[in-house]
Amino acid sequence: MGELFQTLGIQWTKLIPQLFNFGIVLLVLWKFAYKPVFAMLDARQKKIAESVANADKIQAELARTEAARLKILTDAGDLANKIIAEARAAAARLSEVETQKAVTAAEQILIRAREAGAQERAATLAALKREVGRLVVQTSMTVTGKILTPVDQNRLAEETQKQIV
Amino acid sequence: MKISKQAQREAREVFRSCLVKGLLDEDRARQAVNLLVERKPRGYVQILSRLHRLVQLDVAQRTVHIASAVDLAPAQKTAIQARLAARYGTALEVFYATQPALIGGLRIQVGSDLYDGTVKARLDNLQQSF
Repeated sequence: MGELFQTLGIQWTKLIPQLFNFGIVLLVLWKFAYKPVFAMLDARQKKIAESVANADKIQAELARTEAARLKILTDAGDLANKIIAEARAAAARLSEVETQKAVTAAEQILIRAREAGAQERAATLAALKREVGRLVVQTSMTVTGKILTPVDQNRLAEETQKQIV
Repeated sequence: MKISKQAQREAREVFRSCLVKGLLDEDRARQAVNLLVERKPRGYVQILSRLHRLVQLDVAQRTVHIASAVDLAPAQKTAIQARLAARYGTALEVFYATQPALIGGLRIQVGSDLYDGTVKARLDNLQQSF
């Protein structure tokens, strides 16, 4: 054993202080270098893990938001289609009603026109009758006074007297 | 003028008191009016107004207007007055008028009664029917 150490050039008197020095260096490095670096690495690892978790959360939120957006778009589309269908139906109903009104108004106008025509015709006929009557009476007045004899006058007077009862 | 029922009633009583054998006596009517004016009973203006109206109606009822196209013969007038007396009584005041526009026949008006047998009335009716 001693020969081996001698062959390898190991001398206890030098090795022990070197080991001691190495220990001191190791201690100093551990205290002021490795430990902060490890702490920094741990913190960064935690941050990375948190970031990854946040990214996952954001991804999930994004997916939910996208789903909600798609749902809203779908609902909006359905609602728009429904409104358009209702508007079309209402327009059709309104058009039907307006058409019916127009037909009724046209019929009323026709009826009024017929009535006005009939009234005008009746008025014309009445005026014609009155005029004919007036002419007949005028002619009769002119002629009758000339052809009534005294006998006729007496007879007419007696007719009136007989009314007094 | 609004005439109360009381005034109407009293006017009718005064008017009845002025009748002699169913005919209006002018002297009594004058006396009644003078008395009313002198005594001035309550509502006498209304009574006088109503009495005036009643006298007007009575006079009109006893006034006869006879219109004919030609002059009537005395015999015809007598016959007409006899018929009127039989229908309305003897105290009638008769007025005659000749209106050639009537063409023929008679028109007799007694108060609100009208007997129209004239040719003109018949022709008017004919014209109305047109």
